[in-house]
Amino acid sequence: MVAQPPLGETAAMQRRSESTVAIRVRKVSKAYPGVQALSDVDFDLRTGEVHGLVGANGAGKSTLIRMLSGAAAPDTGSIEVQGTTMRFEDPRALRRNGVAAIYQELTVVPEMTALSNAFLGSTPRRGPFTDRVRMRERFAELSAWMGMEVPPDATARTLSVANLQMLEIMRAIAAERDVIIMDEPTASLGPLERARLYELIARLKSRLVSIIFISHDLDEVLRLCDRISVMRDGRLTETRDTGQWSKDTLVRGMLGDVRMLPRRSGPSRAFEELLRVDDLQLPGRVADMSFTLGAGEVLGIAGLVGAGRTEVLRCVAGLEETGTGRMAIDGVPCAWPRNVREAIGRGIMLAPEDRKRQGLVLQRSALSNLLLADLAATAHGPIVSTRKQRAVATTLAQGLGFDPRKLDAMALNLSGGNQQKLVLGKWLNRGPRVLLLDEPTRGIDLGAKQEIFRSIRELSERGMGVILVSSDLEEVVEYSDRVLVMARGRQLGILDRDEASVASILNMIFIIEARPGAPGGQA
Amino acid sequence: MNEAGVATGQVVAVPGRFTNLPTLVRTYGIVLTLVILVTVVAIGNPAFLSPRNLLNMLSQWAPAGIMAVGMTFVILTGGFDLSLASGYSLCAVVAAYAGQTLSPPLAFSAAIAVGLAFGLANGLLVAVARINPFITTVGSGFIITGIALVMTENAAFLVDDPAFATLGAGTWQGIPYSGMALVAFMIVFGLILARSIYGEVIYAVGGNYEASRLSGIRVRMVVASAYVILGGCVGLAGSITASQLSSAQANLDPGIIFDVLTIVVVGGTSLSGGTGAMWRTAVGLGIIATISNGFVLLDISPYYQSIIKGTIIVAALALDTGLSRLVRAK
Repeated sequence: MVAQPPLGETAAMQRRSESTVAIRVRKVSKAYPGVQALSDVDFDLRTGEVHGLVGANGAGKSTLIRMLSGAAAPDTGSIEVQGTTMRFEDPRALRRNGVAAIYQELTVVPEMTALSNAFLGSTPRRGPFTDRVRMRERFAELSAWMGMEVPPDATARTLSVANLQMLEIMRAIAAERDVIIMDEPTASLGPLERARLYELIARLKSRLVSIIFISHDLDEVLRLCDRISVMRDGRLTETRDTGQWSKDTLVRGMLGDVRMLPRRSGPSRAFEELLRVDDLQLPGRVADMSFTLGAGEVLGIAGLVGAGRTEVLRCVAGLEETGTGRMAIDGVPCAWPRNVREAIGRGIMLAPEDRKRQGLVLQRSALSNLLLADLAATAHGPIVSTRKQRAVATTLAQGLGFDPRKLDAMALNLSGGNQQKLVLGKWLNRGPRVLLLDEPTRGIDLGAKQEIFRSIRELSERGMGVILVSSDLEEVVEYSDRVLVMARGRQLGILDRDEASVASILNMIFIIEARPGAPGGQA
Repeated sequence: MNEAGVATGQVVAVPGRFTNLPTLVRTYGIVLTLVILVTVVAIGNPAFLSPRNLLNMLSQWAPAGIMAVGMTFVILTGGFDLSLASGYSLCAVVAAYAGQTLSPPLAFSAAIAVGLAFGLANGLLVAVARINPFITTVGSGFIITGIALVMTENAAFLVDDPAFATLGAGTWQGIPYSGMALVAFMIVFGLILARSIYGEVIYAVGGNYEASRLSGIRVRMVVASAYVILGGCVGLAGSITASQLSSAQANLDPGIIFDVLTIVVVGGTSLSGGTGAMWRTAVGLGIIATISNGFVLLDISPYYQSIIKGTIIVAALALDTGLSRLVRAK
């Protein structure tokens, strides 16, 4: 296909070539309650470069890109885009700002066509009407240029993640954005789709579009980017040309030397087997997982986003109808749970990843949420006993470090940490034998995190088994007795405590992830 | 307040802060509207507050009020029932038809049974087949009206038995039975909502279906059950009306659906589910009934009634949300 330059090319390229720096960030700091998200960040994005941004979770990458796209304002410092200082108090000016951010949660409208989505916000008009003819021409033109094959009339809902992402990129090109931020764009793509994206990035670069590329796949970052910046604990620690980075130096830069050490050492203890899972399958997502969990053990599951970690938990909790496998509890084989209630009946309970959507009834009180999973326990027959409720909820709250005076507050108004305590407390009230924790510390502050893990450790010391999924590898290493490492829906191995470190896990994952079309074949 | 607050699923005060004005306004703003209306009408015509008038209103609004009780459950689960007016007519027809040959208690039981059956059908379609409640109940409404038309051939069924009129028109010590039924339903189902496990679960399912499902609640059964409760209420309401009129026909009062919805929503129960309370429905009923009765007592021209009624309803909702926003902004 011919790389026919899209219309408007000259004007946009002219604008871009007028400055050597597309984005200039100076001394930017931002604090959220309980967290210093960014401190004194300086960052330059050169015109027409692909700039890699790496860092562990919570390092501040997302806060930085939220600011660049105008979604959050810095507390101090300044940001210039194409030589113009961003004025965060003026939302209309921000809309005209030339930065497009493509997040992992895509912002397409599922019920609209590909065509309408591609021009959302910058629809070609003729008088008061949308210019459908012009839209189609432009869509065809841009599709050819991008190497994208999406039928314009397909409903977005029916498209693959890769195609949706392409649509978002097309939207950015159509709106003539000078800067495109890609936040883990390859996390849910297969090898072929990745290759297509790399090619597109090269083309965008040739049009002097500047790109910020965020990925946990370090090999990819090293291959694709011109320069790479490393963030750690809210600071941008270093920016170098890609030639001066290696995977090792990047990993060390991301985690710091001290943090490479596992905090608990010694071999894993021996546990009495509580749960055994064999041949866990979820068609297209997870294949051939087998593992055991001991009474009192914390089994961590480590892997990248999209590796299938959440799916494993959902299968074990009876939430995936197509999930199959064999299960034994206390060494006694039992049927695979087909729904939540069966899993709960066996003492297997899941604290889901999305607190607000799956964990809490937001407009109810903290108290109601804590008691939701076991209402009968605080009732006389069918009638709720408010006295019993308060007593039980207060005990639960105190055990979790949740201020009992907040029991009557709506869950909606609580902090992320307190909300997570409610999700946890809901199950602790029910007395789980196996507790599945999916990203229990996402978006919560350090203090709440400590309290949550303290409660978990107390319970595991009394014989509860825990499976912990977290994107924070340090957390997995620190709190797990063993770590199961997975990539692309497959189990790579289980590390004992003395073998498990952030470095060993990353090495294991990257060996597999770097190999296109590796095991599992990315369904 | 703090216990009642928990039970209503509405904004809840922290214990000891009962006098907190913003919270008070946010929670009870709608009561203010009722008080203003009652005052205005009572000043315009003192007869409004006479026991006779109030008891009359109670009996007159019993069918709509009882259906609003059931509708509160359905709306709290995030659902909707547009087949209500059809079901109401059919149940009245069934009561009148059965009342021609059977004893009144049997006739009314038959009507309630029919209401429960259609409630169950709606509930299963919405909860198990997961068809949008709006579409489901528009469709089932047509079917129900059709059945009533086939049964009656569009003629009215008349009942001669004077005992048949007792439920709708009879009184004890001057208090109408239908009004007693209304008050009893409000209290009993209000307590169920506020104090029972089942009520708690209704709020949870309406507030967050997925979180409730993951918590091991039988979400589909809960949703379906709300429609069954409404069906029962519709059966009783149809019986009361048939008894009041000693007759029934297939198109009894198609507009009653709007009365019922207005009663629930004006009270402050959210159409998106999960927030609201039975006391709110009671207040909503008070507002709608006062407006209608006020028109008669203040001798307002029927030409203006619709305009005024519409204005008051919109104003009441605007006052409620406006006050909440004002208070929240502080």
